Amino acid sequence: MSVFSLSYSPCGRFLAAGNNYGEIALFSLSAALSPDATSQSQKPVLTFTAHEGPIFSLISTDCHLLSAGNGEISAWSWTELIKKNVKPLWTRRPNYKSSLEIPEINSMIINPRDNSLVVGAGDNNIHILDMEHGEFKSVLQGHSDYVHCVSVREREGEILSGGEDGAVRIWDSRTGQSVHCIEVYKYEDCARPQYGKWISCVTTDSDWMLCSGGPALSLWHLRSLSPTSVFPLTGCQRQATFYQDKILAVGEGPYVSHCLLGGKVKAEIPCTSQSLNTLQLNTNSTEHRVLTVGGSSDHIDVFTNLSYKAFSLSF
Amino acid sequence: MGAVTDDEVIRKRLLIDGDGAGDDRRINVLLKSFTKWCNSSGTPEEGFTQYQRMLGTLSQCEFSMGKTLMVYDMNLREMENYEKIYTNIEQSITSAHEKIAECKKEIQRAKRIRKNRQEYDALAKVIQQHPDRHETLKQLEALDKELQQLSHIKESVEAKLELRKKQFHVLLSTIQELQQTLENDEKSDNDDISQESPAENGD
Repeated sequence: MSVFSLSYSPCGRFLAAGNNYGEIALFSLSAALSPDATSQSQKPVLTFTAHEGPIFSLISTDCHLLSAGNGEISAWSWTELIKKNVKPLWTRRPNYKSSLEIPEINSMIINPRDNSLVVGAGDNNIHILDMEHGEFKSVLQGHSDYVHCVSVREREGEILSGGEDGAVRIWDSRTGQSVHCIEVYKYEDCARPQYGKWISCVTTDSDWMLCSGGPALSLWHLRSLSPTSVFPLTGCQRQATFYQDKILAVGEGPYVSHCLLGGKVKAEIPCTSQSLNTLQLNTNSTEHRVLTVGGSSDHIDVFTNLSYKAFSLSF
Repeated sequence: MGAVTDDEVIRKRLLIDGDGAGDDRRINVLLKSFTKWCNSSGTPEEGFTQYQRMLGTLSQCEFSMGKTLMVYDMNLREMENYEKIYTNIEQSITSAHEKIAECKKEIQRAKRIRKNRQEYDALAKVIQQHPDRHETLKQLEALDKELQQLSHIKESVEAKLELRKKQFHVLLSTIQELQQTLENDEKSDNDDISQESPAENGD
């Protein structure tokens, strides 16, 4: 079993995990982190089948959990899920051109500026869903191969997307035009031709961007569109995030890498799974500030202190 | 059998312990001996000895009372001391809490500063790769000057070329005119000669 996606509830006390069988498991973090936790509290409080295919992306809004698998997006209410009621609120499908094969949805993110959901799909396009009306407003076309990951640059209102074709595209969310296109594999410092040119993860904090995949994990300065540091990590990184003054990255290899912005790898903290697919920091709650990672096993490692693994939840 | 033993036990205990323990016993014994002494009818020496004995017991009781009072005072003062220590410790706990919060804020600030420094370093690295602005400006100026010089030269060469062209043009047109004139002269010469000869032949 592989865990592909993780998401925290708005209150910060629950964790939802999606795996490759289409199941979502709900874990109670408050029970698992309390002083009198037993091995039972490391098991899910609720498991249900949400989709037919693997769930590649899970995100939480103020009151909903959105899950996406093979072409469909379902929304669940967190309060209902906590009460163990597993009926979805709605299920939508973006307008795909071809009706023969349904492309999978690899990544979703909420654009807080206009309260829309940005969906990166396997049909090479990015679909924007308006959360207020539930209608798909627009389609951003430009990638020549499927879109792996999307991210939002809040200050400028831009959407970043990385795809299999090796290009990171920056789109203006209002006009829907591609403002920039960075082909990472063309830069000598980052390119690793032995892994390919695909981009598997893109993340940004408005001034800087991290991208990785076939090319090495690199830090880009967005205003000048130039790579400033390349991190010497082996394997392809699947998800990376900025945290305080460090960069956390997971990918091939049973560890979470801590890197400094200058390009140095500070630490590699070992984890249970052989390779990791996702990492999430709980920013919704002050008392359960944990980092969780999931990967190619049924164990989800929980870190209360970033330097070592505290315990594992299992599916 | 049990009842008898019980009675025996009770009698024995009353005999041994009938007056209570310690100071209480002493006071009871004093009271009893006082009443006995008041009602006694023995010799005055005996009465005097008993009187002395009673005084002794009385002073013992007073002594033990004084001791207990002092112990009570001491306890009170110990309590106050402990209260003081307790409030001190509470204060230091709250101040330690505050210090911890301050330090946490400091650490956040320091992490932000470190992040900014690293971003600065990263950008500086990129910028260093590009050549210096002054040098580039100087190069640009030198190139500008060269360009100006070359265009001057080009202008002067072109002017010269124009002049030469015009001079050649004048020369060529003069030559042509001369040629024309010569041809005309020749033709008129020939005409004259051919006019003269038919005139001669005609004669």
